[in-house]
Amino acid sequence: MSSKSVIPVLRSLLSEYRQASSYTKLQESPLVSFILQQYKKYKVTDQQLCKAQEEMNFIAESYLCYLKSQRCYEEKWKMYHAKGERSVRDTADLVGFKLPHDPK
Amino acid sequence: MVLCSSVFSTVCRSQNCINRSIAFQTLAVQLRCHRFYATAPKRFYRKTGVIHSNGNYEITLDQRKLKTPQGNPFIVHNEPLALAVAAEWDAQKEKIQRSTMHLTALCSTVIDNPTKQSKFDLVQSLMNFLETDTVLFHSEEEDELYDLQKKEWSPIIDWFCQRYEVSIRPSRVIEGPVVSEEIKATISRHLLSYNIWAIHGFAFGIDAIKSLILTLCCADRYINIKTAVLLSRLEEEYQTGRWGRVEWAHDISQMETQARLAAAILFIHLNSSSYVVQAKQ
Repeated sequence: MSSKSVIPVLRSLLSEYRQASSYTKLQESPLVSFILQQYKKYKVTDQQLCKAQEEMNFIAESYLCYLKSQRCYEEKWKMYHAKGERSVRDTADLVGFKLPHDPK
Repeated sequence: MVLCSSVFSTVCRSQNCINRSIAFQTLAVQLRCHRFYATAPKRFYRKTGVIHSNGNYEITLDQRKLKTPQGNPFIVHNEPLALAVAAEWDAQKEKIQRSTMHLTALCSTVIDNPTKQSKFDLVQSLMNFLETDTVLFHSEEEDELYDLQKKEWSPIIDWFCQRYEVSIRPSRVIEGPVVSEEIKATISRHLLSYNIWAIHGFAFGIDAIKSLILTLCCADRYINIKTAVLLSRLEEEYQTGRWGRVEWAHDISQMETQARLAAAILFIHLNSSSYVVQAKQ
């Protein structure tokens, strides 16, 4: 597996983790240092070919999927759960209309 | 209750006898309809961490050690899982939403084992899913949907049959496919080769997408999680393609299933791979 398909997964994994975690500096997080260490360990170079890299990439993709789905779920949950029906103003905004007493 | 009784007495004083009983009934109905959910606890810690001793990993919330719901010490045996659980606790904002912490829940389930099931019992109960597997039921009524199911599910079933050297054929009738005892024995032998932690992961994943075949394909890295969830929701996707998609129902359920399956697959991999390294004696 080339680094071309591995690096984007790492990037999006770190960006998802940044949104989820409370760390302001990602380097301080033990999880991030562990992930980077694993990526270095299973790196394919000219000298070595690591078969476990494919497995590691799958795990990284799974974790990325976990964080991403969790975040999307929470966003949608916050937007819709127990909100009831939309108000007249929300509906008007949705379709781009103005209410009668709004300024032209 | 003090408030309720005072409201009730004011209501009663202003009414006559018949009205009083009606008022009581309405009040009772109102009280019954109200559901008292436990409020989510506030985030009481600032930092989460992982401590390591004798090959065991524990999670710390500030100075406190994390415990399971039954009060047992929360001990896991590999570092990435411990780090992921700590990250999950760290991801909680003001309130702790335990229902979305699937990795923590899985670990606690294994440690506490609230249903008191052995590994063998668990595998046996998982075998019941094979006969009613989602990908084995093809549509009887709609030919368009049937073609889609055939196109998407057949490669999965073929791969599964080849991988485990069994023969399972999908069904188009309500009785469902026939799965022989030999096939069940083969699959359960394979599952029993995993440890109890991974088996709990399988149970969680299979329960999320209602398919043993798709979960096994995912655990074997033949398909990824998004594909597995999409395939398990094939009919729903087909119907939403025709009738329209509602974000607060279809998207939410898709995201939740994805999170659940991803947690299960991660859990299986982290508990069965080379991360579980034992030192030489």
